[in-house]
Amino acid sequence: MPSKRSQAAPTRHGQPARPLTGWFVGPIFLALALWFGIGPQGLALPASTPTSVDRSVLTTAPRRTALSDPPTVRIDGFDRTCMSCHRMFPPREVPASKLLQHRHIALAHGINDRCHNCHHDDDRDLLVLRDESTISFGRVVELCAQCHGPTYRDWQRGAHGRTNGYWDAHYGEVRRLGCTECHDPHQPRVPAMDPLAPLPGPQALRAPAYDVHDDHIFITRDPLRRQALRGHVETIAPSPAANSAPVEVFDEEEE
Amino acid sequence: MSGAGGNAPGSEQAAYTGRLTRRSFLRGGLGAAGGLAALAASLNPLRELDTSELTVEKFLQKHYKEMTADEMEGVLARIRTEVEQRYAVRPELRDIKAMDGVEFAYALHLGRCIGCRRCVHACVAENNQSRSPEIQYIRVLEMPRGSVDIERGNHHYDRPTVPDAGHYYMPIQCHQCANPPCVKVCPVEATWQEPDGITVIDYDWCIGCRYCEAACPYWARRFNFTSPQIPNEQLNPNMSYLSNRPRRQGVMEKCHFCLHRTREGRMPACLEVCPVGARKFGNLLDPDSEVAQILRTKHVFVLKQDVGTLPRFFYYFDEDYPRSHAGISLPVLQPHDVGGTR
Repeated sequence: MPSKRSQAAPTRHGQPARPLTGWFVGPIFLALALWFGIGPQGLALPASTPTSVDRSVLTTAPRRTALSDPPTVRIDGFDRTCMSCHRMFPPREVPASKLLQHRHIALAHGINDRCHNCHHDDDRDLLVLRDESTISFGRVVELCAQCHGPTYRDWQRGAHGRTNGYWDAHYGEVRRLGCTECHDPHQPRVPAMDPLAPLPGPQALRAPAYDVHDDHIFITRDPLRRQALRGHVETIAPSPAANSAPVEVFDEEEE
Repeated sequence: MSGAGGNAPGSEQAAYTGRLTRRSFLRGGLGAAGGLAALAASLNPLRELDTSELTVEKFLQKHYKEMTADEMEGVLARIRTEVEQRYAVRPELRDIKAMDGVEFAYALHLGRCIGCRRCVHACVAENNQSRSPEIQYIRVLEMPRGSVDIERGNHHYDRPTVPDAGHYYMPIQCHQCANPPCVKVCPVEATWQEPDGITVIDYDWCIGCRYCEAACPYWARRFNFTSPQIPNEQLNPNMSYLSNRPRRQGVMEKCHFCLHRTREGRMPACLEVCPVGARKFGNLLDPDSEVAQILRTKHVFVLKQDVGTLPRFFYYFDEDYPRSHAGISLPVLQPHDVGGTR
């Protein structure tokens, strides 16, 4: 380096104040080196709480436990069936308001509001079809199918209901859940399922940024633009369809 | 640096005759020291390079499709050891090939999904995604009713309970397209479509250029910006080479229909955990399978049909029949309604 400068230097011969070229390069490099050396190590990512989910929440079990066949209840260490008690009582239709037992059952099944529409008159361990033939509790699907034809058809095809296990019976058991493993036969709901608490949402950066309390206010998904637009959020007027709450999602789109 | 300073007095003449003056020494020395220090600092990140992972056989490992069975066995053994060293869990790592006569497809009942995010977290638990930073394959969009504009979907919804009456829920994951744009853009063929329709990634071949992430119209691909963090006790030891073995920093990953499960006949993890049965999976080539029947008989649509990706992930919903007994009326179905549309 000195030799190079010595070649260039004669042009500036005799100048008392030399330009400071080179003098500031070293300190800048040193400062940079110091910064890189003892400065922050690597890129500090925004810290996020990992949403580790308890595996017990991720159950694959049915949401309801269907009654066994025949239904049993454990009383004083003994398994009792319905007929353990009911064989002592004459069968008669009692209005729900006058029931002394089974008061916890609130029958809310539309116009199907008589116990003995489904339960057999004499043998309470069985169910009864509309043609007065009896079936066991294990075959309750056939009972439901009498009225819920389209749903039963979809269930047979696999379009309705849950299927767990294997996707082909060739490889293992295809477990298709029955009606009462999701629905309470005494109070099937519309919509049919109970609400659930959602598991934690994602904490990814690149995502549409909505105001979680108002779906109609949203900001652009680009984080830089979002920063620039701070305070100038766009407001989208709610669509008229969003106000009504139809049961079917796509009523409007269907032709 | 060990020089004992300029031995000549600081005469102007000395500098021009090439002699070392105090001034030229200090100037040159400072510059040289600064340059060296800057060079060292710029190489500083190399200190963080983990050379223990850099082995010859790893460097010379072939592409998945070019490996013989013996070579694959060697690679699997090596990965087993690596996983065991890192997570203290002995994995059951296999390389599972596609079945003959099987083309997988997924169907999702939009009218059923309640947005509970069970699928999202079951997927994370099953497929060993990074917990921090968070990587999730499934995105559940909360959509205002009456709209299918996914730009208006929100996947950060946080309600005490779902579903919300004014919304419906649309989970999105890899659609396993029959015409996948992500495969076309990969410069090193680290991602490709398998015979059963699943688009897979060779994590050891991926260079992390993220072209595929940009090409995917469904935002289905995820990138490991940092080394994935998974607690040892949460590692799923049931692994396969192309699906859920632990990834490293700098590679892409995405949904693979749980191929380590589905290629053995089992259902994907997201389906089994779904409490409402909104998810359906099966073999498209089997006319009696659930998905094949759904595609024949239900109202089915695919997302972003206009981009021509031919997804194997279908959304469906029921035909309109009365569900309530308020004002009983028989379903008025036209013949073309009953036959289903496709």
